[in-house]
Amino acid sequence: METEIRFTHRSLVERSKTGDRTSQYQLYELYVDAMYNVSMRFLGIKEDAEDIVQDSFVDAFKNLDRFKYESSFGAWLKRIVINKSINHLKVKRLPLTSMDEHEYHLTDEVEIEKVNAMDILKVKSGIEKLPLGYKQIINLYLLEGYDHNEISDVLGITTSTSKSQYHRAKKKLVEIINGL
Amino acid sequence: MDQFEKHIRDNKAVFVDHKADRAKMWANIAAQLNENPPKVVPLWKSPMVRIAASIVILLGITGIVGFTFFGNPNTPTHYVSKELQDIDMHYKGLVTYQVQLVQNNNQLTAADKEEFLSFMVELDAEYEQLKLEMRNNLDNEQVLAAIVSNYRKRIELIENLLQQLNESKIKEEDYGYTL
Repeated sequence: METEIRFTHRSLVERSKTGDRTSQYQLYELYVDAMYNVSMRFLGIKEDAEDIVQDSFVDAFKNLDRFKYESSFGAWLKRIVINKSINHLKVKRLPLTSMDEHEYHLTDEVEIEKVNAMDILKVKSGIEKLPLGYKQIINLYLLEGYDHNEISDVLGITTSTSKSQYHRAKKKLVEIINGL
Repeated sequence: MDQFEKHIRDNKAVFVDHKADRAKMWANIAAQLNENPPKVVPLWKSPMVRIAASIVILLGITGIVGFTFFGNPNTPTHYVSKELQDIDMHYKGLVTYQVQLVQNNNQLTAADKEEFLSFMVELDAEYEQLKLEMRNNLDNEQVLAAIVSNYRKRIELIENLLQQLNESKIKEEDYGYTL
């Protein structure tokens, strides 16, 4: 099953590798909204997200020969978009993670189960209200499905920092949601 | 994963609420993809470079072959140089020893010694000239013969002088004996 997922849209990808513009456009049509949303969740600014997604598609099509089906094309493309988005934030010198008091919060599971958070729209609103650093880590872990090793790679932090930051971010999110 | 996390992941679709401006973005992407990348022609594909490379290889082979077959005249030069070196060492030692004998001889006056040594200096100058000619690779055999001849002259000169000295010494010493 996993193999089938990796080879999703294989024929389109293969034709795109040869430079076939129609196939490239079809791939673009399939993924552009998802990638745009990924970028918007990180950047929050329409124009920035558009630039990042455009650059990501251009890079992806130009370097398609390097894509060896180790993941699905979508996952590969999403990684490009996320990396570019994170780099964009780094260039703008926006803090990706709040580094204060991050060492000792691995067990901050308190109150999580009590959260009145089953209204997903409140959750969405709560995520948008999070400080930028927390928002990135919640996005990466909960929405993009990254594990802490991957997050540590992308953000340039240790795995333990990623874990502790995630727990703090989640706690903060619950607080925000409960306050809505 | 707790219920909270599971709930969010199960409802991820809610977080996909932005619509990309597809046409505008594709126009930008297509424009960047259409930009002709600088055409890279590998050097080895250029006919001119191929011809140049062939010429270089040909010259290289010719050079190696030429050096192998026609470079041999150098070998005798080295041989002659070695021969000269051996002769030089042999005669130089001999000459130095005999010159020293002359200089140490008490029977010769300073004027005689000076006259003798001036001949030697002339022969030395001639020898240096011959060595230069040898380096210029003129007729090696003839130059070598001339060098040997030069040394012989010097030795002969010294031997004659020493012989004369010995003869006069013998005459002086034998005056009391009647054979």
